[in-house]
Amino acid sequence: MVKRGKSGVAARGKLESILARTRLSGFQETLAGYVFTAPALMTVSLFMLLPILSSFVLVFMEYDILTPPRWAGLSNITRLFGDRRMMVTYWNTFRFALGATFLNNLLGLLLAMGVNRAMPRVLKYLLRTALFFPAMTTVSSLALVWHFILTLDRGIMNYLLQQIGLPAVPWLTSQRWALPSLIMFDVWRACGYLMILYLAGLQGIPKILYEAAMIDGANRWQLRRYVTLPQITPTAFFCITISLINAFQLFDNAWVLTEGGPHDASRLVVLYVYEVAFRRFEMGYASAVSLSLFALVVGVTLLQFWGARKWVHYD
Amino acid sequence: MKKGIAERRSWWRRAGRFLGYHAGEAIVWFFMIGVAVFEIAPISWLFSTSLVEPAHSFDLPPKFFPTAFHWENYLAVLNSTEIDFVRFFWNSLRVAATVTGAQLLTCSMAGFAFARLRFPGRAPLFFLFLASMMVPFQVVMIPTFIIIRVLGMMDTHWSLILPSATSAFGIFLMRQQFMTLPEELMEAARMDGASFLRVYAQILLPLVGPGLSALAVLTFLASWNSFMAPLLFIRTWERFTLPLALVQLKGYMGMGNRAHVLAGVMMSVFPLMVLFLLAQRHILQGISTTGLKY
Repeated sequence: MVKRGKSGVAARGKLESILARTRLSGFQETLAGYVFTAPALMTVSLFMLLPILSSFVLVFMEYDILTPPRWAGLSNITRLFGDRRMMVTYWNTFRFALGATFLNNLLGLLLAMGVNRAMPRVLKYLLRTALFFPAMTTVSSLALVWHFILTLDRGIMNYLLQQIGLPAVPWLTSQRWALPSLIMFDVWRACGYLMILYLAGLQGIPKILYEAAMIDGANRWQLRRYVTLPQITPTAFFCITISLINAFQLFDNAWVLTEGGPHDASRLVVLYVYEVAFRRFEMGYASAVSLSLFALVVGVTLLQFWGARKWVHYD
Repeated sequence: MKKGIAERRSWWRRAGRFLGYHAGEAIVWFFMIGVAVFEIAPISWLFSTSLVEPAHSFDLPPKFFPTAFHWENYLAVLNSTEIDFVRFFWNSLRVAATVTGAQLLTCSMAGFAFARLRFPGRAPLFFLFLASMMVPFQVVMIPTFIIIRVLGMMDTHWSLILPSATSAFGIFLMRQQFMTLPEELMEAARMDGASFLRVYAQILLPLVGPGLSALAVLTFLASWNSFMAPLLFIRTWERFTLPLALVQLKGYMGMGNRAHVLAGVMMSVFPLMVLFLLAQRHILQGISTTGLKY
C-alpha cells in the first residue's frame, strides 16, 4: 500500500512537471521558431526584401552613386515609353524567349520519351549523362567554348558547314545570325535539363493507364497521343513557365557570346539594364527598366496560369 | 483460293507493320544519337583541343578525339604570370564552400522550424520566403549593388557569400524533407526533456541526409557557376572567381593560344565533372523534386 502510494505521488509529480513543461513549451516553441528562422530571415530581409522595396523608391530618383540621389518624380517612368533602344532589346528578348522555350521544351520532351524507353541500364545512364552534362556546367565557360566554335574565322561550325557544301555563316558578327546563335547555344545547354524534368513527369504517369489503353486495343501512336500527351501537360506547363521566366532574365550567355552585339542585334533586356546601370550609372532609370521587365515576367506568368486551364489536365 | 488471298494480305500487313516498327525505331535512335553527339561534341572538342600543341590549336579539321597529349598546356596555365589560375580556383572554391555551408545551416534550421514548430506568423513567413523565390537576382541587382556598397562589402568575397547565404529553394527543399519524418520522433524526444536545439541537431538532422546532400550539391554548383554577381561586385583581379577570370583569360590568350584558354576551361570544369559523376543521383533527385534550380 505504502509503496503504491509513494509511486502514485511520484507519478503525479511527474505528470505535473510534464504539464508545466508543455505550458512552458508553448512559449519555448515560439521562441525556438523565431530563433531557427532568424538567420534565413535576416538574409532575406537584407538582400531580398530591402532591395525590392528600395527599387520602388529608386524608380523615382536620379542617382549616379557618386552624388546623393535627387528626387526625379515620374520622369524615369515616362522615359520608358520613348526609349527606342529598350524596345529593341524587348523585341530581341521576346524572340529569344519564344525560340529558346519552344525548342528547349520540344527537344526536352522528345529526349525524355527516348530515354524513358526500355534499354540496357548502362546505355540509359550514358545517354542521360551525355544529354544532361552541359546543363550542369558553368554557362560562361561553355559560352567561351561556343565562341570558339562559332567564330567566322577558323571556327568549327563553319568548317563543318563547308564540308557539306554550305556557305560559312558569320554567326556572332552579323545582325541576322547573332540572336539565332544565342538560341542555339541556349538549347544546347538547357534542353538536357528540361529532359530531366520531363523524364520525372513521364515516370510519374501511372502504368495502369497504359495497360488499360492497351487492353482497349490502342496502338503505339494512340498510346502517346491519348495517354502520354494529356498526362504530361502538368509537367509541360511547369517546364514552359520556368523556361520562359529564365529566358526573360538571360544574361551570362549573351554577355560572353556576343556582348549584345553587333550593334544591338542580340542585346537582351538584362544586358541593357546592366549597361544603363553600370556603364552610364543611371541607377534610377535602370531600376525602372528592370521593374518593367519584372512586371512583364509576372504578367506573362499570370497569363500562362490563366491559359493553362484550357490545356492542362489535372486528373 | 479465298483463304490464300487472306493469308497473303495478312502477310503484307505483317511485313508493313514490321517495316513500320523498325523504321520508327530507326528514326528514334537516329534522333537520340544525333542529339547526344551534338551535346557531347563541343565538350569532346574542348578536351581534345586543350591537349594539342598551342601552335596547332587553330588547325582544321577540328579534333573531336584527343590525338596529342600536351599536358604542359595545363601547367602553362597554372604557371602563367598573367593569370593566377590557382588563386582564382581557390577563390571560387572558398566562396562556393562557404555559401554551401551557410545554406546547409540556414536552410535546414528554417526548414525545421517551418515543418515542425508551431509559432505565430509561421504561415505568412513561409509565404514570404516562397514569394521571394519568385524574384530573380536580375531584378534586384541595382539596389543590391547599392546595399553592398553601403555595407562596405564592395570588392570582397562577402558580397558573393552573404546574399546567397540562404535560399528559398533550400528552405522549401528542407521543409519537405523534415515533413516526411514522423512527428512522434520529436514528441518522444521532447518528453524525455530534449531541447529544440537538441531535437534539431541530434535527432532530426541526421535523418534528412539525402535532402542535405541534394541541397549541398546544387548550391555548390550554382555558386561555382555564378557569373553575374562577381561581375558586379568584384573589381580587383586578385579576388576574381573562375568564371570571371576565364573570360579575362580569353582576352589575354585567346588571340594566339586557344589551347591554353581551353586548358583553363577544362580545369575550371573538372570539379563539376567529379561532382557530377559522384552525385548525379542527388542532383537529379533535387531537381525533379523541386525543379527550381535552373
